[in-house]
Amino acid sequence: MKSRGWIRLAAAAIVALLFAMPVLWMIATSFKPPAEFVSESIALLPVAPTTEHYRAIASAHVAANFAASLVVAAGTVALALAAGFPAAYALARARLPARLDAGFLAFVLLLKLTPPIVLAVPLFQVLRTLGLIDTLAGLVLTYQAYTLPMAIWLLLGFVREVPTAYEETAEIDGAALPRRLWSIVLPIMRPGLLATTALLFVVAWNEFLFALLFIQTPSLFPLPLFIATRITEEENLWGQLMAVGVLAALPAMLCLGALLRHFGRAPEAGLTG
Amino acid sequence: MALLSPALVLLGLVAVYPLVRVATLSFFATEHGFEGARFVGLQNYVDLLDDRFFRRAAWNTLVFSLLATASEVGLGLLLALLVNPQFPGRRVVIVTLVLPYVLSTMVVTAIWRAWFHFDFGFLNNVLRATGAAPLEWLSSRDLALYALVLVDVWQTAPFTFLILLAGLQSIPTAIYEAAQIDGASPRAAFWAITAPLLLPHIAAAMLLRSIDTFKVFDKVYALTGGGPGLSTESLSTLTYKMSFRFSDIGHASAAAVLMIAIAGALGVVYARRAADRSGP
Repeated sequence: MKSRGWIRLAAAAIVALLFAMPVLWMIATSFKPPAEFVSESIALLPVAPTTEHYRAIASAHVAANFAASLVVAAGTVALALAAGFPAAYALARARLPARLDAGFLAFVLLLKLTPPIVLAVPLFQVLRTLGLIDTLAGLVLTYQAYTLPMAIWLLLGFVREVPTAYEETAEIDGAALPRRLWSIVLPIMRPGLLATTALLFVVAWNEFLFALLFIQTPSLFPLPLFIATRITEEENLWGQLMAVGVLAALPAMLCLGALLRHFGRAPEAGLTG
Repeated sequence: MALLSPALVLLGLVAVYPLVRVATLSFFATEHGFEGARFVGLQNYVDLLDDRFFRRAAWNTLVFSLLATASEVGLGLLLALLVNPQFPGRRVVIVTLVLPYVLSTMVVTAIWRAWFHFDFGFLNNVLRATGAAPLEWLSSRDLALYALVLVDVWQTAPFTFLILLAGLQSIPTAIYEAAQIDGASPRAAFWAITAPLLLPHIAAAMLLRSIDTFKVFDKVYALTGGGPGLSTESLSTLTYKMSFRFSDIGHASAAAVLMIAIAGALGVVYARRAADRSGP
């Protein structure tokens, strides 16, 4: 039995290594001088490691794009939670007619099905009317088409697990609704809240299409859009491109743990578009 | 109701209004802008169904979606079966396998654009090193769509892997122990226990992947731009070009409505299955 475990480990390690190759290649290339990657060599590790690509992107104001990504992702998560939590609570607690409940969930599913490009032209007009074209606030607003249904869907499950007894006791003691939510419901569902936050953050951090359509000022480009403008035929720039890729990948990787812990609950919330 | 209103206002603004608007616009010709839009009934739809570009994009999207979904579920299943039993280092293997799934599609395409490069790309370097001929991954009409499938498989097989691993973990070990006592071979146990109990999870993974692959935009945009020729144009990239390059809003809106209709059909299948499993 023991030796079979080791055989499985060897097989799994080989497969995992194959899967990790593109990511390892990205990290390694970000430390290679151009002569090493503009070549026919298949060596993975840099021979003469260099930080020149990181220094180059530091002086190219990538910090502004990193900040834009952070602001948009944080804003998107905050708005989705602020609007999604009360809605999820209402759906879980208020005894709505079953049909209304089902209707709402069907609408959430319809949004999950809708290709984002379908919403693009009307959303462009909405943003222009509100004066939010080419602003990060505009992105925070339009990303709700992805994140708000996800937030409601996930939080609904977590609220349903909070026993009503605590709230009923607090209500008898005279605690008003906002206070009951803040000091009873939210603390109990903290793990679920964290997982939801991590998932929403990854979605907003990685989004590309709406950023492409609604942002024109280069210093406001979120990282995926910045990367898209740098994907060129110019092989010499691969080092810089991969350095930006590493930067863009880091925050999402930090969310990996939270994602794995709670994945089994709602795979429907999937991340890619 | 007060609790629901912020969410309702937001969803109204970014989802309900756009959906209604796009459905309305699909009945208008907009060659003179929104002001001079004229009602043309179903003409936009008739034009599209007759349009070479639209048909090709629909065909490409179908091929991409079917191939990617089948490969991702197949590979995800193999990975899940490999990693399901306990073994030392299992946790590290799982985290490594899931890694591609949290990357931005733009990071993914940046890596693969370099890997597909004809002269210095990693894939062709490996082919040359093994004595094989290098391939024109993205510039060949016959290969480009499959190259896109390859990238999608790498990025999202981790997702199907996670669903199917969760499915395998949910099968009680007592069933296997009982089968072993009854003298069933591991192979017999797989077909009699694992396969039927995993089937709902396989179906769920297939549906979720077909829904997502049907929307494919980012990869096509950044890797091939829809080319060479029309060989990788997808419904999403074609709709994007009609809307924002050719400003043909009427036809773009009709294409959008057709996409929702097809996606909606997939959704009905999904909802039926969810209802069978007694809700979320």
